[in-house]
Amino acid sequence: MKRLILTLAALCAPYSAIAAEKVELSSDVYVEKVSHDANGRKSVVLEKPLKVVPGDRLVFILKYRNVGDRTAENFVVTNPMPSAVAFQETLDGTELVSIDGGKNWGRLKDLRVRMGSGYRDAVPEDVTHIRWNINDDISAGSQGKLTFRGVVR
Amino acid sequence: MAPIATLLLLGVSSPAFAAGTVAGTNIENTATASYDGPGGEVQIDSNTVTIVVDELLDVTVTSADPGDVATQPGAEDQVLTFTVTNTGNGTEKYALTPDVVRGGDDFDPALVSVVIDTNGNGVYDAGIDEVYAAGTNDPELAPDETVTVFVISDIPATPADGDRAEVNLAAEAETGTGTPGTSFDGQGDGGGDAVVGTTGADDDDSGFFLIQDASVALTKSASIADPFGGDSAVPGSVITYTLVATVTGSGTLTGLAVSDPIPADTSYNSESITLEGISLTDSSADADAGSFDGSAIAVELGDIPGGQTRTVTFQVTID
Repeated sequence: MKRLILTLAALCAPYSAIAAEKVELSSDVYVEKVSHDANGRKSVVLEKPLKVVPGDRLVFILKYRNVGDRTAENFVVTNPMPSAVAFQETLDGTELVSIDGGKNWGRLKDLRVRMGSGYRDAVPEDVTHIRWNINDDISAGSQGKLTFRGVVR
Repeated sequence: MAPIATLLLLGVSSPAFAAGTVAGTNIENTATASYDGPGGEVQIDSNTVTIVVDELLDVTVTSADPGDVATQPGAEDQVLTFTVTNTGNGTEKYALTPDVVRGGDDFDPALVSVVIDTNGNGVYDAGIDEVYAAGTNDPELAPDETVTVFVISDIPATPADGDRAEVNLAAEAETGTGTPGTSFDGQGDGGGDAVVGTTGADDDDSGFFLIQDASVALTKSASIADPFGGDSAVPGSVITYTLVATVTGSGTLTGLAVSDPIPADTSYNSESITLEGISLTDSSADADAGSFDGSAIAVELGDIPGGQTRTVTFQVTID
């Protein structure tokens, strides 16, 4: 049985190779459950959530993989924040963010929000979109992972 | 490609909801990616992950009176005001439980009723606001909605000035209560679960009655001046009566009045009433506080707070 599946996979391979470069992107979300053991030690467990409540901390993991046989250039990943989730941070810190629905982009520390007649510094909760301009082109077979945190509003 | 602006000025800010995302909302996340291939730019979408926001059961009860509510022994239908707020994220009914028999206070009021501020004006309107009956008209609150609740009590005759009574109001989410995190499967708004929030889905707060009672002591003294410059009680001697009303206690005596009949064998000296050294007229038709009706003088002292005195004098002549 196992051998049969391998054979089928081998048959399929040439079709994906027809598109010279082909990148796959997946999105996953986990909820961070903090628990304390009998000694008061804190442990954080990532659980696959079906249901969440306001205040829960979510970890979003995006995985990409060049499954083609040629390099994909200028690789950019964009994640619009779900409206019910307040952005917190990315793991790598290299992201650009938008606080106006994806029209303008910048580093969070450079963005300002109009408050009456003045401005305040943008805070993570203002973020509507996050984007990674992956510096390196991604060569055939290479893969990567992008992680960010948010809190259920 | 234009350089990315380093300073962006924007007029949007995200709305804040105290109670959080409404129960039953789907959180959907999809990422997109683009890259350049030989045929030009390629756009791809990730899968979409969906999670459902469960109902968080929370409630906050707050005493809405600015401080102790002053009352008197024997007073009826005394009002303490509370607010009940749905701090959860789903529409929820709350059961209310008043408690007038608290430990550690000086007396227990007698519960009359719990009343919902049906017309929403924040003030108890007897006969207009609906009397609460557990299980019948439990208030149903949307997320962030607040209802005002009045607890009506009678004050017994026994408490003394300065005594305090605690009255507690508790509210419990009808879906359930418990330690935070307790889950009620499938009972949340929007088809999800209901999960007990940080308040335990129940809360209570207390308001206080403070007895502010007052009592009055009246003392009367007399001084005599005879026609010869002495103090003998002979016909023609003038007697000056002094009435001192002393109010004690932390409350205020309202509508206090003193009257004193003219003694036999004396005649009232007309227009001789004074209050705090100021002359009053004998007429009861004018605005001042004094009057003489032919047999007794009377002075309307009005509302006197505890700790104050009022001195009234009048004169008679021995026949």
